[in-house]
Amino acid sequence: MRVEFANPFVTAAVQTFQKEIGVRLSRKDLKLKDSPVPSQAISIIIGVTGAVRGQVVLSLDENVAMAVTKAMIPGKLPVELKKLVNSAVSELANIITGQASILLAGDHGKIDITPPAIVMGGELKMDFLNLQTICLSFLSEIGSLELNIALTEGTL
Amino acid sequence: MKRGLIVDDATVMRMRLRDILQAKFEVVGEAENGARAVELYEQLKPDFVTMDITMAEMNGMDALKSLVTRYPEAKVVMVSAMGQKAMVFEALSQGAKDFIIKPFDPDRVIVAIDRLFE
Repeated sequence: MRVEFANPFVTAAVQTFQKEIGVRLSRKDLKLKDSPVPSQAISIIIGVTGAVRGQVVLSLDENVAMAVTKAMIPGKLPVELKKLVNSAVSELANIITGQASILLAGDHGKIDITPPAIVMGGELKMDFLNLQTICLSFLSEIGSLELNIALTEGTL
Repeated sequence: MKRGLIVDDATVMRMRLRDILQAKFEVVGEAENGARAVELYEQLKPDFVTMDITMAEMNGMDALKSLVTRYPEAKVVMVSAMGQKAMVFEALSQGAKDFIIKPFDPDRVIVAIDRLFE
């Protein structure tokens, strides 16, 4: 795991929050962990393959998820809100990882990502492979979130 | 009024694109993956398609190839977060007319669709 892999995710998260949610995100902390196990109630897992490979796990609480959903949906919120919350936070993780992959791929590489998988409930036990992980935490006016980045260099 | 098909696996993104496009175009259908997009294209024969890339079942790049092979006149605009140079080049060389990188400004979408019919 190279620490340089973290910078594109910081840039992507800050830009995506500003543009999609209209919220300023500030970096709180950077920690190294042995696996990308998330710490908050809602987690979105995206697989990464290609020039860089591994897993990215975005983790946030329900209040942040609701604020993200309200910001991403035009007009008034419809009845089936839970499905939309899943969709909104999954799309947010997809955009952040997609944006970071543009920076990581540079001029010559190619990186692909899987559709997001979402896991809800802080009590749920998840097993992750032991992958050295950079855990980035962020603060904003709508709450906190973390990005767990477990990536290694792949094949071109 | 030109008729459009929206393809994206995220409900919120389909809602957002519908909201943007409806101001100027008629949205005749929505698909949540590439396979459904090909089916709906055959049924609805829309004037244009907005196509996400990262989707389960059939991704947007494969759906683009399938559509352009069967309907060389298909006007497909990619709308994806996967805006790496290699991806943009691949999509355009496979027949996509434009590539909008998420997150996007609503005006960028309208301009791209307008340009298809100039």
